[in-house]
Amino acid sequence: METTVEMRGDGLRSALWRPLNGLSRAYLLALAVAFLVGAWGLGCWGYQIVRGIGVAGIRRPTMWGFYLVNFVFWIGISHAGTLISAILRLTDAGWRKPVTRAAEAITVFALMIGAAFPIIHLGRPLVFFWLFPYPNSRLLWPNFRSPLLWDVTAISTYLTGSVIYLYLPLIPDLAELAQHATGWRLRLYRLLSIGWTGSDRQWHSLERAMKMMAGTILAVAVSVHTVVAWDFAMAVAPMWHSTIYGPYFVAGAIFSGIAALVVAMSVIRKVLHLENYLQPVHFENLGKLLLLMSLLWVYFTVSEHLTTWYGNSPAEMRVFGERVRGRFAPYFWFMVLCNFVLPFVLLSIRRLRSVATITIAGVAVLIGMWIERFLIILPTLSRPHLPAAAGFYSPTWVEISITASTFAAMVMFYLIFCKLFPIIAVWEYKHVSHG
Amino acid sequence: MFLTAEFSDAPSVGAALRALKAGGFDAAQMDVFSTEPVELPEGLLERPSHMSLAAVAGAATLGILAILFVRYTQYDYPLVTGGMPLFSWWATGVIFYEFTMFGAIFTTFATFLVESGLLKRRRAIPDPVLVAGRIQVRVCCDAGRAATATECLQRAGALNMVES
Repeated sequence: METTVEMRGDGLRSALWRPLNGLSRAYLLALAVAFLVGAWGLGCWGYQIVRGIGVAGIRRPTMWGFYLVNFVFWIGISHAGTLISAILRLTDAGWRKPVTRAAEAITVFALMIGAAFPIIHLGRPLVFFWLFPYPNSRLLWPNFRSPLLWDVTAISTYLTGSVIYLYLPLIPDLAELAQHATGWRLRLYRLLSIGWTGSDRQWHSLERAMKMMAGTILAVAVSVHTVVAWDFAMAVAPMWHSTIYGPYFVAGAIFSGIAALVVAMSVIRKVLHLENYLQPVHFENLGKLLLLMSLLWVYFTVSEHLTTWYGNSPAEMRVFGERVRGRFAPYFWFMVLCNFVLPFVLLSIRRLRSVATITIAGVAVLIGMWIERFLIILPTLSRPHLPAAAGFYSPTWVEISITASTFAAMVMFYLIFCKLFPIIAVWEYKHVSHG
Repeated sequence: MFLTAEFSDAPSVGAALRALKAGGFDAAQMDVFSTEPVELPEGLLERPSHMSLAAVAGAATLGILAILFVRYTQYDYPLVTGGMPLFSWWATGVIFYEFTMFGAIFTTFATFLVESGLLKRRRAIPDPVLVAGRIQVRVCCDAGRAATATECLQRAGALNMVES
């Protein structure tokens, strides 16, 4: 059945609803590639379930590998949306309007992907539900003292909050779309708009709920990445047992989140022809935030490494040495290049700042932050307290495939979202202000 | 009966609401419909809300329930802790915090659904169809006061009016 969204009303609506109609060849190709890579990753996971976790490269002592790197990376990316959107909403930053929904969608999808990794990492993933507290025949309860249970609680809360935070401002747009759509789209929009009429009572409630959600979600977002940091910091392992790990992770998460937002906005601006709405000023402002976070990241990284070096504890110095001049050194210095040198040059020199260079800085930061997660996890595990227990880790094709598929999944979810819902909130953009 | 008038801008809506209030109508009898939120002068159309209170109550309730539940589970199946306490406030702190936040989020959303009337499936009268760029004001009045309401709305610059 053919379904469309009829272009009626002003130019703004026409422009922002246009991407909902039609399927270009480029769109279908991108969707197909993303789907195939995603399906390949799912197949690899199936292979791992059948053959056992041994098909992954994790061996004693490096029992956490790519899967946990991806977990921390994607949870970090999820800070793009809700956190950034909440900060901008609470500070009433006018330029946020075309940015917020793109950001909030990143949060939901990144969280879904990130939350899947602890399950993929489990030796017996089919019994993951044992983590939930329910009366069972084993007469056991989960161990709530474990940081892994803290993760489950924190991520569940954040995911619930983020879905609601994405959904709330979508409702008015969905109600309007329902007036113009046909076929299954009409049924979908009508169902999701839950009878929105646009009355002032509803607008009041929505704005109040959005403000309260912004405040709450901000507190949850900070706690989520702090809890992820505590997965490491609670272990008395070299270079993990650190008091600044919580804020260090939160800063890194916001940093990578902004980078993901810049890249996503740059792509949708080009692909959906939204140049008039996602303007250079939006990139400029996000570029400044990215630069600020880059400097904060350097500050935390130096603090973390300088105190370790000065303490000169043998176990910590082994990990430190591995990172800065040993086997992991090329990755470490490449990370510094991606997370600091490149963004600093591209974003601090005004003449160099443009949509393209800000996007390049964003891509560099994403690569750098993935490597940072890798460098947090692997050197410590491969150089534990006992020198005789040292080992090494190299990922297998299964882990690489599953990692690649998560990026494809992100692209696929985003492409589908952009086809179903307006990526810029029409009502927020047009907010009448005649106080 | 209901009178629905269409306006093209927010100042006219403000003028209409002020005129209606001066004419003896109260905020509960008036509704404004629009595709975007309309910012009106403070105090013109007050909508009392219990959302903050509900969120705090929801947060406190779920937080306390989480503590009680964790305590129950840890005594129900006592793990060997090597002399450390079975129930630890430090370790429960994170669970308590997250459930408190979950309670706040859930009750905020639930209160939004209730206060905005979105859960009401049966409506006494059909709501006006939203038109982009137009703002509609609906007044609930009895037949005897319809003339006053009509005059207030027309004086404020109503583009057209519908009676239902």
